[in-house]
Amino acid sequence: MKDLKELKKIEEYADQCMKCGFCSFFCPVYQEERMEMGVARGKNYLVKQVLAGKQEFTEELGNIIGKCLLCKRCVAMCPAKTQIDRVVVGARAQMVKEKGLGFAKDFVFRKIMSNRKAFGNYLRMAKSFQWLLPKTEGNIRHLPDFLKALGQGRNIPAIADKFLRDLVKPVYKPQNGQTAKMKVGFFMGCAMDFVYPELGLKIIDFLTKNGIEVVVPESQNCCGAAIYFSGDFETGRMLAEKNIAAFKDVDYIVTGCATCSSTLKDYQKYLPDTEDQKKRYEAFEKKVKDSTEFIVDVMKVPLEELKLKKEFAGKTATWHDPCHLVRYQNIKDQPRMILQALKGLKYVEMPNADMCCGMGGSFSVYHYDLTKKIADKKMDGIKATGADIVVTACPGCMINLIDNTLRHKMPQKVYHFLELVE
Amino acid sequence: MIRESLIGEFQRIAGKENVLTTPEALKAYSYDGTTNWIHEPEVVVFPTTTQAVSEIMKIANAEKIPVTPRGGGTNVSGGSVPWHGGIVLCTAKMNKILKVDKENLTATVEPGVVLQDLTLRLAKDGLFFPPDPQSFLGATLGGIIAENAGGPACVKYGVTKQYILGIEVVLPNGEIVSLGGRTLKNVVGYDLLHIFISSEGTLGVVTRAELKLNPIPPVKRTILAVYADVAVAGESVFRVLENGIIPGKIELLDNWVINRIEEMMPMGLPRDADAVLLFEVDGIEEAVAKETEKIMDIVRKYGAVDVRAAKDQAEADKFWMGRKAGFAAIFGKAKTVFAEDVTVPRGNIPALINKCKELAKKHDVEIVVLGHAGDGNLHPAILTDINNKEHYARAVSAMDGIIESAVELGGVLSGEHGIGLEKQKFFMRVTNPVVVKMMKDVKALFDPNNIMNPGKIWD
Repeated sequence: MKDLKELKKIEEYADQCMKCGFCSFFCPVYQEERMEMGVARGKNYLVKQVLAGKQEFTEELGNIIGKCLLCKRCVAMCPAKTQIDRVVVGARAQMVKEKGLGFAKDFVFRKIMSNRKAFGNYLRMAKSFQWLLPKTEGNIRHLPDFLKALGQGRNIPAIADKFLRDLVKPVYKPQNGQTAKMKVGFFMGCAMDFVYPELGLKIIDFLTKNGIEVVVPESQNCCGAAIYFSGDFETGRMLAEKNIAAFKDVDYIVTGCATCSSTLKDYQKYLPDTEDQKKRYEAFEKKVKDSTEFIVDVMKVPLEELKLKKEFAGKTATWHDPCHLVRYQNIKDQPRMILQALKGLKYVEMPNADMCCGMGGSFSVYHYDLTKKIADKKMDGIKATGADIVVTACPGCMINLIDNTLRHKMPQKVYHFLELVE
Repeated sequence: MIRESLIGEFQRIAGKENVLTTPEALKAYSYDGTTNWIHEPEVVVFPTTTQAVSEIMKIANAEKIPVTPRGGGTNVSGGSVPWHGGIVLCTAKMNKILKVDKENLTATVEPGVVLQDLTLRLAKDGLFFPPDPQSFLGATLGGIIAENAGGPACVKYGVTKQYILGIEVVLPNGEIVSLGGRTLKNVVGYDLLHIFISSEGTLGVVTRAELKLNPIPPVKRTILAVYADVAVAGESVFRVLENGIIPGKIELLDNWVINRIEEMMPMGLPRDADAVLLFEVDGIEEAVAKETEKIMDIVRKYGAVDVRAAKDQAEADKFWMGRKAGFAAIFGKAKTVFAEDVTVPRGNIPALINKCKELAKKHDVEIVVLGHAGDGNLHPAILTDINNKEHYARAVSAMDGIIESAVELGGVLSGEHGIGLEKQKFFMRVTNPVVVKMMKDVKALFDPNNIMNPGKIWD
């Protein structure tokens, strides 16, 4: 009998599915492809076949299990409350255990992303070549067709001139001589570190302005989302340990990236192998806060005191719910409360605000055509609002929304909500 | 075994990307919404035109390959499981709403249109398609027609067969015919259209349908009545109707379901209540107000211990959410669930419910009762575990008892799910052999080679 350790861990979740098929209505992949292997019910059934010893981890099954955005729309709507995200991630982990990661992911996850310095150096190197890429607009660059792995004709943001890690100080005292209300560890996340460093500085500025002491531990690492959602639990745990160690003596850990906050919180859900790990990951989870909930629920900033930056006066904004915020963390109201409180800004709800933008992390690298089709629907929703700007709280979503608004030649610009606040 | 060269033919007809043969794909098309009916096809084909369906059927007929039509695969009778292998002909990609005709209150659709997509589209024009199988999130119109599906709204609006004006259908020999038409009245020879409705995919493939629509009623109101005895609730159902009111829906939840709802989403239902009835009345404002009042009077008179009307749509939504969640809860609480579909004349609902209680005691199993009480269609659910042989055997005996009781009470063994594989043994037991022979003769007339969904309804 084969060792199905990772699959055994998720067997109880796979057993929940009663095969009603309602997930098909909510699955962005099924809605495009209309094939049973794409939807939660099909994936779940195939995983159960593996557990029953009737199906091997073939390359085809790998493709099927890989073709999931982990957007959790089906999980939210499942009458039997099947946690297909756990089944999919567990199956990927089992696969990595049996077959390894495959050369590309192995190299990227284990040699580059898990080593902060190396990651930075590689990106610096990449940066020195990025002048070769044609500029589309602002700091957006257009990936030429020969970079097929990243999708033809995709617009990607340029790598920053200076990384956030090189711009930050280890400790920031509260501004204007206030006594510190609390001590917060700022978690940068890869996107803010390498692409949007100004956003990171903005968050630190906002927190210290409001009487909070901010520390930025140098030893913090990548959150591990792309890594453990691909099934590389070993590297995932290594990153979890590094990050937990880096943020020892703080009241909260705050990040401006929805994917990072949910990933840090969910170490306890996906990764523990031992009781000790479970306990420590759970303790860590309690301290992690996304910037949206931190401002509203923890800092309890009087929202009417928030000031809109002048350049946004009179503009109409709409909110895009990142999957990692709305479904992974159940954060829906807080960002809307902030946007609606900003005087001078008009807020409109888009019809499909909580629908996945199609990014899904590395999903969009392997299935860029599907990403575009899923994003098309998101764009229809944005167009219907007539809004001037699209606001969200996840750099991953931002990258994809920028790519697609440009592709659709739409006038809407994409912002992180903190960019709107004075 | 289907020859390799035929796979090539299917690819030529439907397009390469629309023919699946990998072992993984075949496994994914081996099941439907039932628990234990599983069989793999040899190939899955997704035609996108009527012409393609016809060409596939011609090949299948010449080669005598079984063909199982399938839409969303949400049915709960085994109807879309390819029991004899062969081809799964999946209409999921024929999913265009071709026309919404506001003047004639009709819509023209392809078979793969999902009911919820249709509902959303029609709402833009203030219209709706009344049959409401609760699998509406995945069920396709082709399957809804083949199973003659119904749902809660049937008490007032009827089932699918009352809303199909015409269909285009590909016969097993590949011929394309149109049956019925676009008019409300139509008596031109035998009514062949209705032979296809509830044929469970055994006579041909529906490739287009003309649907009859209704305008959305402007006002809706929900009433919740609480009972100390589930049989008294059953009585309230026909008391309301005999007093001249036909509500849009009447749904029943028993004590077990009430408690699961209160655990999941507390709405203040009395946890010791034996049953709750949910009524929905719809229509113009004045009528709805009057009917609401009348229903509240009648149920009070006939033994409801508490009755209240939802104060607004938000509260009404909450009640209906509870109904949905309750149904889901059943499946969350047991490894295996027999979701029965017996239907009795409405006056016999209390008798059937009492019978269920007796059987639960006798076989020492949990039987949960909920369902569309308004039309006598109950879904007694037996909670069991297929891996626990002894318990499972008791559950099977209890299920046999329920079906026998329903038939004794003048009812039928399936109200809306169909026979498929799940109810064959009961079908043979309760159906007159002469009638079974007539059905088989009809089948042979349409499908002499027995290639359309073989193994269904009867063995």
